[in-house]
Amino acid sequence: MLSYILRRILMLVPVLFGVTLISFLLLHMVPGDPAELLAGLEATKEDVDRIRTEYGLDQPLAVQYLRFVGSAVRGDLGISIQSRHPVFTLLLQRLAFTLQLSLVSILVASAIGLVAGIISSTRQYSAFDTASMLGALFGISMPIFWLGLLLILVFAVRLHWLPSGGAGTLRHLILPAIALGSASAAVIARMTRASMLEVARQDYIRTARATGYRESVVIFRHALKNAMIPVLTVFGLEFGYMLGGAVLTETVFSLPGIGRLLVEGIFARDYPVVQGAMIAVATTFVLVNLLTDVAYAFFDPRIRYE
Amino acid sequence: MRRTWWGFGMALLVGVIALAPAAWAATQPQVGGTLVYGAGADPDSLDPANTDSNPGEAVGRMMNNFLVRFDAKLNLVPDLATSWTQSKDGLIWTFKLRKGVKFHDGTPFNAQVVKYNFDRFLGPEKPLKASLHTPIIQSVEVVDEFTVKFTLKVPFAFFLNNLAHSATAMVSPEAHKKWGKDLTLHPVGTGPFKFVEWVRGDRVVLVRNDDYYEGKPRLDRIIVRTVREDSARVLGLEAGDYDLIVRIPPEEVPRLMREGRVRTYAEQSNRALWVKFNVTKKPFDDIRVRQALNYAVDKESIVKNIYQGLAAVIPTLVGPLNNGYAPVKSYPYDPAMAKKLLAEAGYPNGFKTNLWTPKGRYLKDFELAQAVQQQLQTVGVEASLETADWGSYLAALRKPPAENKADMHLLGWSPSTAEARWGIYPISACDQFYPRGSNLGFYCNKDLDELITKAVVATSLKARDQRLREAQELLVKDPAAIYLLATKETVGMSLKLHGVINSPLELVYVDKDTWKEK
Repeated sequence: MLSYILRRILMLVPVLFGVTLISFLLLHMVPGDPAELLAGLEATKEDVDRIRTEYGLDQPLAVQYLRFVGSAVRGDLGISIQSRHPVFTLLLQRLAFTLQLSLVSILVASAIGLVAGIISSTRQYSAFDTASMLGALFGISMPIFWLGLLLILVFAVRLHWLPSGGAGTLRHLILPAIALGSASAAVIARMTRASMLEVARQDYIRTARATGYRESVVIFRHALKNAMIPVLTVFGLEFGYMLGGAVLTETVFSLPGIGRLLVEGIFARDYPVVQGAMIAVATTFVLVNLLTDVAYAFFDPRIRYE
Repeated sequence: MRRTWWGFGMALLVGVIALAPAAWAATQPQVGGTLVYGAGADPDSLDPANTDSNPGEAVGRMMNNFLVRFDAKLNLVPDLATSWTQSKDGLIWTFKLRKGVKFHDGTPFNAQVVKYNFDRFLGPEKPLKASLHTPIIQSVEVVDEFTVKFTLKVPFAFFLNNLAHSATAMVSPEAHKKWGKDLTLHPVGTGPFKFVEWVRGDRVVLVRNDDYYEGKPRLDRIIVRTVREDSARVLGLEAGDYDLIVRIPPEEVPRLMREGRVRTYAEQSNRALWVKFNVTKKPFDDIRVRQALNYAVDKESIVKNIYQGLAAVIPTLVGPLNNGYAPVKSYPYDPAMAKKLLAEAGYPNGFKTNLWTPKGRYLKDFELAQAVQQQLQTVGVEASLETADWGSYLAALRKPPAENKADMHLLGWSPSTAEARWGIYPISACDQFYPRGSNLGFYCNKDLDELITKAVVATSLKARDQRLREAQELLVKDPAAIYLLATKETVGMSLKLHGVINSPLELVYVDKDTWKEK
């Protein structure tokens, strides 16, 4: 198991290499120039060239990429061309925040999703089942942007219960977590329901019931544990996406997460920031996938990694 | 009867006494409190000499002072310089400096500081805005501790405007020596508020400068938050999370005014929006075509319908409130005249062309371009609309004539020195073709250049502004662009906030007199 985990972590190296190379090439294929954006409309070509030289943007692409890799390996991700903030510090701040938001969101999502999914599956075709699956459909279909603004309107503007945006306390995270978690909650609910219904038809569930276990024991110990594998996959994917930054949620709620850093970096053609954010996002995604795989083995002892 | 009157008088008196404190509290400035300011974007830099963005300049104006500065109506008033004289030939300017001013790090302000700041512009470091001063200033000399003398290379009638430019804020020499280019992360000025921290993408925090030379500021603390989404800014203001926000979308203004829970405040800005012709391309080399297109666009209707009145039609490239702006007679809406001119130029059935526009850079820019496109259609001119994100847009436009694909392009131009020359010269002079300057339509009229040159060397304001008026009249006769409008900047604020400055330079900031009711 340990050697498996180590192997997976080692796999990060080629993954990161590929991610940075592809994003580097894509960034340079897009028209636009960080120096020009920084210098602005009023600047002369001379001003722009001076900035290009300062940040090494006048070098051939291969040289620029190798320089980036060279310093990245030594842990130096450079400074933002836009604001001169060290990229590493920016990433730490943003990742810390994104981790908080993702954790609260996935908690909200799994609490709602698992409960709704389990109840729906035990009462298939009941009024609750119909209502919750209809709700899930809404959750998946609702644009996050719109839902976010609606939440702000109701809970911040009308009721004054919660802040409309910004980061700081746990209270600041509640509305964004609901907005961000609602789609995931819907996916988890549907997956839980489907998986539970599938498991419920298995022989060992009938056996468990026949043996005389209480219904709650049958559902939670026998059915749920076995139904968790596909749910976990969804859970891991959703969590991975959240950690990769939720740019819409971050924009509506003015949150300093990694998603906005990445997107604003792209608009400013802030190459070091974009590269750094890509590394951060890829790393978290790989790690979350690894954690999911390890969790499979916990829920289903038949799964073993050698 | 007498008794009744007396009773009434008594009641009135009691009422007045009882109500007085409340009324007094509402009108008397109070001290203390934190101002939360919702800005639309992060600053690009907090080092004034390297700033080229409204958020950067607005934050800068709360931390810094200038030798002379603009008041709320763009008049030039003394700041760190108390008085000045100009030699007869316009080449020598001598400034008397204010005594007893200290930077936030304790460095005293004096003539050496002024010289240090300008030597930085003229020297090898070349901050972004160096080109504001390098063509004009020859040298800066310390006469005595509080007198400084500038020698110019050429007479320059807009010298004071350059000194009031956001980039020419005085920074602490000690801080600059210590941080160099990273001064942007550790700015030190003399202004009413001191820098505390800048968390990119989230906030800039400033605190009161108790030693401010104009007196102790009333607000304790300022938090400038980055709130990119327009609706989120408006909702946040309504929820009470922000005391002040910028750039309210025009369509939100009527509702906010009707509901009355927050205050909106629109101020004419000096930003001019126009659609520039690429005169190296046919048919825009023909003056009649350029005139025709000016007649073809109904600017009043655009202001009314797209901007809800939050813009003003402008006669040329120059927005109102700029020093030297002249309200010259320009093009009325006259599609028949447009058709006639097009026919004379050999295009009775119009022609096909393209119109490039940014999206989201300026207030309603894309909607404005769409309206222009539709109105040109009515005179037979079929313009295809091209748009791109700002980075790609700049890359597409900032090209020499041969590689420039835009036939017409929309831009907004806000002279940061608040004078008409800057509204014309960098974008229309013959020697300012890209890559030398920002003339991206390659318009060239020698007479215009000459008028601008005469305005520059004028030593009296009257003579200067007369030349500028003639230049603007010439721009009407020989159009460089479809002249459109100057936008208004609408800020929103809590009913409890007083004394916010909404400068026509599109800079929204507060000063020592701004205060907030408890």
